[in-house]
Amino acid sequence: MAFSRTKKGTRSLFAFVGEVGDTARTLWWNFFDWLAQVEWRKLAVIALVALMLSAPFRLGESVAMFIVFSVGLKVLAGGKRRAEGEARVAEQQAGTETLERRLVEAQMAALQAQVEPHFLFNTLALIGQLIETDPPQAAKIHAHLIDYLRATLPQMRAKGNGTLGRQIELSRAYLAIMQARMRERLAVSIDVPPDLLSASFPPMMLQTLIENAIKHGLEPKVEGGRIDIRASASSTAAGNVLQIEVQDDGVGFDVHAGDGLGLTNIRERLRLLYGSRAQLIIEAPLDGGARAIIRMPFAPDIFAGSKL
Amino acid sequence: MKTPTAIIADDEEPMRQLLRARLHEAWPQLQVVAEAANGVEAIALTGLHQPDIVFLDIRMPGLSGIEAARMLFNRCHIVFVTAYDQYAIEAFEQGALDYLLKPAGGERLKTTCERLQARLGKSPDNIERQLTQLLAHTAQRKPQEYLKWIQAQVGTSLRMISTREVLFFRADEKYTRVQTLEGEVLIRKTLKELEDELDPKEFWRIHRSTLVRVDAIAEVKRDLRGRQMVRVRNSEEELEVSRGNTHLFQQM
Repeated sequence: MAFSRTKKGTRSLFAFVGEVGDTARTLWWNFFDWLAQVEWRKLAVIALVALMLSAPFRLGESVAMFIVFSVGLKVLAGGKRRAEGEARVAEQQAGTETLERRLVEAQMAALQAQVEPHFLFNTLALIGQLIETDPPQAAKIHAHLIDYLRATLPQMRAKGNGTLGRQIELSRAYLAIMQARMRERLAVSIDVPPDLLSASFPPMMLQTLIENAIKHGLEPKVEGGRIDIRASASSTAAGNVLQIEVQDDGVGFDVHAGDGLGLTNIRERLRLLYGSRAQLIIEAPLDGGARAIIRMPFAPDIFAGSKL
Repeated sequence: MKTPTAIIADDEEPMRQLLRARLHEAWPQLQVVAEAANGVEAIALTGLHQPDIVFLDIRMPGLSGIEAARMLFNRCHIVFVTAYDQYAIEAFEQGALDYLLKPAGGERLKTTCERLQARLGKSPDNIERQLTQLLAHTAQRKPQEYLKWIQAQVGTSLRMISTREVLFFRADEKYTRVQTLEGEVLIRKTLKELEDELDPKEFWRIHRSTLVRVDAIAEVKRDLRGRQMVRVRNSEEELEVSRGNTHLFQQM
């Protein structure tokens, strides 16, 4: 690479010499690493064998020289090289640990993504009103609120929330409450094939997308609108992909309003959990509103069929 | 004396019903003549019915309660209604504005009603100054008018790319290349247009053809020819800093 700026005529020659140099250097360092790490006993055996093999060719003297040189090198520099190697391994480990720590941090942030006070107070006010006018409906909304809080409050969040089915249930509870409040201003459709319900799916991601759709898309729209939630699985060259889509026909994007912590948190968690195999895609549909899509690797549940 | 009249404005119907029922208990003579589902309706209905009092929810689509109040305050008495708005509540207290907390009821509603009854004959307070302050505050809380989403045609769909995802922008003849972690897309906006619209604290112009996201910069180094080169996180590419812009990295 360093030779690419020399004049044209000599370039190929230089490149060739450079390549030979590179190869020799790599081989040398490989040998050096091996020498630094090999056990003394093994080195002694190899030296003996080399001496015996070289004797018929009258090379004994140069081989002996090389052995002395190797031993000297191992004594002088081996320790340092070995330490370097160990440091490298430790560094890699530290890198993994950093990654794990970041994942934990991102999950903590998601856990802290608390219940919005606005939502809570308005819902409680609604229940208070329904207790007088429509007690059965009040009981229903009350139950939905408990479901929602159980899944949302960090202290209450139980294990086993990490399936798509559980996340859909939570979203249904939330949407039922919002429908009771917004009445005809909110229409909802959820289309998730039953065999995807057992798919693993990180908590609070779907919820964040739905809350965004309502808060930024539908609540500000005078006549309200609809929200569509769809899930599908497909197999691609890169493996099976689970796709979750949340679309609304609300007021659409304000290109000057930031994307908020919710989306950033989803993006970060997806990257930490699945690397480049997962994506959060935001789109502006032609007929208005907003569409958010999460794509992630999907391991089909091979026992799902037998349960049906 | 004529029957006192009122309008209730709230985007959530159950809340309107609740307030109507509670008002009926606390002040049976008060006649709720209309209900509005948003700020615009509240203004129209006020014009139509000329009520003595308007109960305004703060968060409503179209026009917020505070915006609506600014157009109505000299025509009728205003009572704000909110479930939770810490800042607004403090401002109401300071500005001596009437407000109710949802779900309205009990002693608090009774007190408010008594206060309103006492003031019915008089003309409404001039609360313009308080309202202007409140509005200025809500406007201030709005994010600055910098571009936060990049629109890009990807296949048949219009992709919205958050500026937080962008590593750098590069001029590419008539187009601009948008580099994200996931890849690159081309957009029609020129680099100059982008530079004018983006937050200068978020993106730096380091070269005639390059805008780089400041917190994506991993390191700045010199190459063999002494040029400053910026390396961006999670990207192989090195971006040249033109001589005119080296001051950006002087302390490094």
